[in-house]
Amino acid sequence: MAQEKAPKPQEATVTYTVKAGHASAPTTLEVHAAEGDLKPWDLDSWPKFRQVGKRHPRLDGPLKVTGRARYTYDVKLPGMLHGRMVGASVPAGEIVTIDTSKAEALPGVKAVWASDSRTVRFAGQDVAAVAAVSPEIAADAARLIEVTYDERPFVPELRKAMDVDAPLVYDPDKMPASKDLPRKGNIVGPMTGRRGGGRGDVEKGLQEADVTVESTYSLPVHTHSPLEVHGVVAQWEGDQLTVYASTQGVFAVREGLAEALGIDRKSVRVICEHMGGAFGSKLGPSASGTQFAVVACKLAKMTGAPVKLMLDRKQEHLCTGNGPSALVTVRIGAKRDGTFTAIHYRSFGSAGIATGAGTAGPANALYQNTPNFKAEDHDVFTNAGPGAPLRAPGHSQGAFALESAVDELAEKLGIDPLELRKKNESSPVRAIQYDIGAKAIAWERRNKKPGEAPGPKKRGIGMANGNWYVIARGSGVGAQIKVHRDGSVELISGAQDIGVGFRTAMAVVAAEELGLKPSDITVRVGDTQFPEGPGSGGSNTTNSVAPVVRLAAHQARTKLFDLAAPMLGAKPEELDAADGRIFVAANPRKAVGVKQAAAKMPGEVIDCVADRKKQYETYRGDIAGTQFAEVEVDNETGEVRVIKMVSVNDCGFPMNALTAESQAIGAMIQGASWALLENRILDRNMGTMVNPNLEWYKILSPADMFEAVSILTPIANAGNNTSAAGLGEPPIVPALGAIANAVFNATGARVRELPITPDRVLQALSEARRRGDRVAQRSETRDDPVSTTRRASVAPRRGV
Amino acid sequence: MPKPPSRRDEGPASGLSRRTFLKTAGVGAAATSLVGVGGRAEGATVLGPGPVPLSLKVNGAARTVTVEPRVTLLDALRDHLDLTGAKPVCDRGGCGACTVLVDGDPVCSCLMLAADAEGQEITTVEGLGTPERMSPLQAAFVECDALQCGFCTPGFIVAGTALLARNPDPTLDQIKDGLAGNLCRCGTYGRVFEAVQKTAKARAPRGKARRG
Repeated sequence: MAQEKAPKPQEATVTYTVKAGHASAPTTLEVHAAEGDLKPWDLDSWPKFRQVGKRHPRLDGPLKVTGRARYTYDVKLPGMLHGRMVGASVPAGEIVTIDTSKAEALPGVKAVWASDSRTVRFAGQDVAAVAAVSPEIAADAARLIEVTYDERPFVPELRKAMDVDAPLVYDPDKMPASKDLPRKGNIVGPMTGRRGGGRGDVEKGLQEADVTVESTYSLPVHTHSPLEVHGVVAQWEGDQLTVYASTQGVFAVREGLAEALGIDRKSVRVICEHMGGAFGSKLGPSASGTQFAVVACKLAKMTGAPVKLMLDRKQEHLCTGNGPSALVTVRIGAKRDGTFTAIHYRSFGSAGIATGAGTAGPANALYQNTPNFKAEDHDVFTNAGPGAPLRAPGHSQGAFALESAVDELAEKLGIDPLELRKKNESSPVRAIQYDIGAKAIAWERRNKKPGEAPGPKKRGIGMANGNWYVIARGSGVGAQIKVHRDGSVELISGAQDIGVGFRTAMAVVAAEELGLKPSDITVRVGDTQFPEGPGSGGSNTTNSVAPVVRLAAHQARTKLFDLAAPMLGAKPEELDAADGRIFVAANPRKAVGVKQAAAKMPGEVIDCVADRKKQYETYRGDIAGTQFAEVEVDNETGEVRVIKMVSVNDCGFPMNALTAESQAIGAMIQGASWALLENRILDRNMGTMVNPNLEWYKILSPADMFEAVSILTPIANAGNNTSAAGLGEPPIVPALGAIANAVFNATGARVRELPITPDRVLQALSEARRRGDRVAQRSETRDDPVSTTRRASVAPRRGV
Repeated sequence: MPKPPSRRDEGPASGLSRRTFLKTAGVGAAATSLVGVGGRAEGATVLGPGPVPLSLKVNGAARTVTVEPRVTLLDALRDHLDLTGAKPVCDRGGCGACTVLVDGDPVCSCLMLAADAEGQEITTVEGLGTPERMSPLQAAFVECDALQCGFCTPGFIVAGTALLARNPDPTLDQIKDGLAGNLCRCGTYGRVFEAVQKTAKARAPRGKARRG
């Protein structure tokens, strides 16, 4: 008898029927929830919420505004030494010698570390490190380390690296890329799969089109530039390692350090109480282009003292990751009525010495009704620090290219860009969002003919779409709620608050269940000794942890109801909780305080721990957003100012409307910064970064600020019991394209290369003028073919 | 002691910024570099190169630190006085996260030597309020959600406090101007402006005409 595979144990589920989607277009959905889980909050729950979806100031606000919040950079331990990394000064070569003798001889220096790795592929790569009794001595010692290199040819620029005869960043057999992908010189791809591939036949689709556009767009590398640099404080007590880390994932730091140091993860504790920004660069144990955290632990081991190792601002730019560059060609075709027939998206980008430069996500996800679609992503290696996920990785770049092309197509078709997008929309959520956003920006004010507004300061309005995904960790997430005899409540989750208001959002969820205010709850987060939480990447923290917080809080609520029921002469199931009271639902005057009920508990604490079983199939697997921008362009100086931006975005149910709005507003501001200012510049002759600071690597300042409006469209997505989804990343995706399209609407001149700096605006204006001349020339030659040359010289200037 | 370069000054009068000599001063060079800056060569006290005791007046209290003369006010506050509210971010006066008040003026404490701060009133963000008793501006920041990761927030609080002291009822443009030296990466500017406006409005006596 043939042996059969043991059947998979049937997962116990309970089926709930929920009212899902947006309130204006509700739909019924069956959710197959894990046994023991609660019915997801849905459209019927939304109007009844007392805490969820309301505006709550963040709980850690008072600590942060008074300078009392302790960040990794603020940690000081007794006997602590100060570490400092030394990076390679050349972009490519072999290290011949590292002479640390002078550094070691400097009084106050306690340990020196030198890298085993000999091959240098970017300027800033780890070479050595020191630990000393003061930061000043550590800096002196770092300068005394002498390194000699056997230098090699290098290529820091994307376009140059694509040349057939460009210096190779990697020997072909050493490329860190899948062996299955085609490769040519420094280029790997095209990639297929989630962000590539396609449907139909784009060549046929383009032939069937009445109007086509083919344009190439480019974006430079952006660095994450969090205000708190990467860093750790590492302390050994025997074999036990405690690490204070500025990180997006305390558990990832624990796993990564345990593996790198060859120790059991149980001997590592990682703590991150408050964190000064990351945007994707702090997901791993150290960072994408440095092993500084591992080095800090080694220095601490060597010296027997705690070591604090923070990078400096230059190192932060060079080796902690960046958002890859992109060079994208979009071919798009439509019928006369605007129906898209084909989209061909072809992207090359560089994540430096790493892969991950794909940008086809938005092209894949938007306008899915387009019958013919093909996406081709390529990674190009350059001698520059490795990229890292940067706030919706690849998507802001991809949406800028795609949505610029859609705008160009609208112009060529003579169709309103908003109407063109509506016509080809495939998401029911975005279909709702369009009119909300158009009303908020007053879309009808836009120039019907781009550039028609009187100058020299011309205003224009543009828009663009964006997408993201519902990403959540379905298991391996826990939370704990403790109700003490005195009625005080603690909420404990190991996940970290990276500045998004996570701890406050979790308190909102628990408060909703327990009939309390969020401020009644003490929240402890960011510690690997607490119940496990996810790393904060992919906009997954709130929606991974909120459901298990709700479950733990619900268990506590049940126990409090059991205590309150006899006090009220009612059954537990007849009770409800609100405003700090437990009451009979049918007769709210019959009530006891939550504190009074807690005082009846048999022990000292009601301790409820819950674990997440799974993520459910959601109403929509994507997160939809659309954005509108109004800009003012000075056509004499080329200066662009953003006047107003409107973001309309889905985030499932927002747990805390106030901090959720802040996320979307912050994304628009960061997006405007990417669109107008930011540009990592590598010296093509030296291979080093020209602007590794915060005055030449410009980010948007208060002086550049505009009116930013966030409108959230609450969606009951039922992916978990709270219907929360992510919001950190989605609202940055459309921002760049919306601004670029507004610049076109203001001037009639298309800037296809970011950042949109004054020189590029002036160049685009001058090209538009020349094109205007040619158009004028052609229209006149029809009547009078013989006098073309003479007439062209006096042709009226068109456009601006 | 000459007044340190305030964030509102055009620039250091000596023509040689403190940062320039900080960056060029190597080991043991600090003492020689100190001489001649700001026209203090005649009869100037030469400090260092080793640690020297300094008397600072911080948040109303007399404090003593023993630091190398090259140590900035920022590092003295953070590493030696446990006042970690002011944040190190750009290390060159480009972001305002380290802003403190020196005799009431907002100053980038990363650009000022601790030795130059002797004899002056230093106020850090910790001196403006506590979590239990926040200043009106601090409370408005929390209420308006004018912070996210919070790393730039102390600098904005100090700069905003200085702005409101100078101009109790600033226009939006004056607020933007007064805070233009502070950077935020999370994108909180709009709500920071709201918090400043809210504080000004709550403070302004009724019927007072808007200035400037």
